[in-house]
Amino acid sequence: MLPVVVVHGGAGHIPKERAQNSTSGVSAAARAGYIVLKGGGSSMDAVVEAVTQLENNPSFNAGCGSVLNVKGEVEMDAFVMDGKTLATGAVSAVRDIANPTQLARLVMDKTSHACLTAEGAKQFARSMGIPEVPMESLITEYSRMRWRKNIAPDANPVECQMGKMGTVGAVAVDSEGVVACATSTGGMLNKMEGRVGDTPCIGCGGYADNNSGAVSTTGHGEAIMKVVLARLILFYMEQGQSAEAASDSALAYMKSRVDGLGGVVTVDPRGNWAARFSSRQMAWAAAQKDTLHYGLYTGEHFTQSIDEPH
Amino acid sequence: MSLCNRNLKMSAVVVVHGGAWAIPDDLAKASVDGVKAAACEGHSVLKRGGSALDAVEAAVRALEDNTVFNAGHGGTLNTEGEVELDAIIMDGRTLGNGAVSSAKNIAHPVTLARAVMEKTSHCMLTSRGANQFAESIGMATVPTETMVTEYERKEWEKHKNYVTGVMEDFNAQWAHDTVGAVAVDCSGNVACATSTGGIRNKMVGRVGDSPIIGSGGYADNLSGAVSCTGHGESILKVTLARLIISHIEQGKSVADSSQLSLQYMGNRVHGAGGAIVVSPSGQWAATFTTERMAWAAVDHDVLWFGLDPNQRSKEQLSN
Repeated sequence: MLPVVVVHGGAGHIPKERAQNSTSGVSAAARAGYIVLKGGGSSMDAVVEAVTQLENNPSFNAGCGSVLNVKGEVEMDAFVMDGKTLATGAVSAVRDIANPTQLARLVMDKTSHACLTAEGAKQFARSMGIPEVPMESLITEYSRMRWRKNIAPDANPVECQMGKMGTVGAVAVDSEGVVACATSTGGMLNKMEGRVGDTPCIGCGGYADNNSGAVSTTGHGEAIMKVVLARLILFYMEQGQSAEAASDSALAYMKSRVDGLGGVVTVDPRGNWAARFSSRQMAWAAAQKDTLHYGLYTGEHFTQSIDEPH
Repeated sequence: MSLCNRNLKMSAVVVVHGGAWAIPDDLAKASVDGVKAAACEGHSVLKRGGSALDAVEAAVRALEDNTVFNAGHGGTLNTEGEVELDAIIMDGRTLGNGAVSSAKNIAHPVTLARAVMEKTSHCMLTSRGANQFAESIGMATVPTETMVTEYERKEWEKHKNYVTGVMEDFNAQWAHDTVGAVAVDCSGNVACATSTGGIRNKMVGRVGDSPIIGSGGYADNLSGAVSCTGHGESILKVTLARLIISHIEQGKSVADSSQLSLQYMGNRVHGAGGAIVVSPSGQWAATFTTERMAWAAVDHDVLWFGLDPNQRSKEQLSN
């Protein structure tokens, strides 16, 4: 059952014309994470690698391809967590770097803090020798088009953005049974400057604990925060529910209590995993026992050999 | 109104804390006086039929104004000598919440956090965005000199030469005087609020547990409200507030839930801290694993307070 990596590319309504890119993107990221694991790499190495690929892929709302805030600028959030030690690193509202997840990992590994925000995060990146990239390099035509559309006075950004572009993330268990998670996002379309969503908030955007499992979430950030979604799923698993049942229970609770939709990838320390969502779609892929699993619409579960081209 | 008064006698409670750490003797009296006054502020709000949300905001505002605590005025300085403030407020009825992190020179971060909750569609704003929002709602900024105490400036100078933004091992001697409050009102609604300047000489932009939902605080009418203090990074790792709530959900008392959760934090990640909790039925607890925690509560017109472990002093409040 081990090792295993599960990846998501955002929950919501993915337009048909973008569906293919989403599916191939998460599949490639899952493959990349799996190669790390098979090579003896840690679950942390694997999730960071998988999410880095999604950040570099302009089809996803993370790193390059991030949605724009109300001012037309890119502010990114990211989170990593190690299930063995509960060590964690996060950045919020960071600008002008290509890979916020790697920066979050550096916060975890190189500082005694758990989260750095905004200018402080950028200063730290500089001190770590991380190159500054022009904001323009992170902005795609698609994200600019969506921003422009939502600036219109009659636009409803919350409704419009619900998942057309979603947060990315991954969970993994390595051969030693250590779980880890990583989540990264450009946040919400046309958000206020400085808006921080669930992604960099521990327990919300993700959580990892060798005693129960690891989760990475996506969906309506404010709703995920209200129910501390990742931690909620793991509470259910601690009480004996499976990864799949716990994910479904928590997503159902989020819908009934705070009217929010989303999706999760969840794994337990033995390698049982689930990719579940209450939104219309979620691009996801998993790699385990040399098999690639993937899906997009509710109920889909395709498999192929990991070595077959997608 | 009379129904409310009858319920008030049954369950309206407010509990406040002024930080869990090895509070030195020369700050002890001021800390205890400060939390007592803040608890009374919260109690007045509840007594006249105000909501739990109003009560926790009022109590924390009183603590933010008090320079003996590390929140609002009196906040600690980051490594560059600036004040960066974090706060959260949460409404147990709707799970609505608002938070700010790294807000600069705001006298009442808890009020700014409430405005995020009530005036935006977001839950959290950081840094420049938080300050821009404050300006847009007419909230004044306060000059740094007014916010920073002489004591704090001296401590910052002392520690700047010793260690910069790094705490090698969790040392309870470091100040963790975050402030917070929880309350249940006469309608059975619970709320929490937490506010802090963070840890002394923290890296620029360091965000601790205080503004993070589930860590610095959590409130849910189905189970209770919690506000935490202590070593921020440890509180985050175990999502302490939500952990305490999970024990309450499983039927444990507020005191046992707090004790178990703090013990777990100590065992799993070697962090110490404290928590105040209130349940919708008016049960409450103030628990800590640090040397001291300044706390106070008003329950049935009795003012309870403490500082040292196992201390529970009381004063009758006049009706």
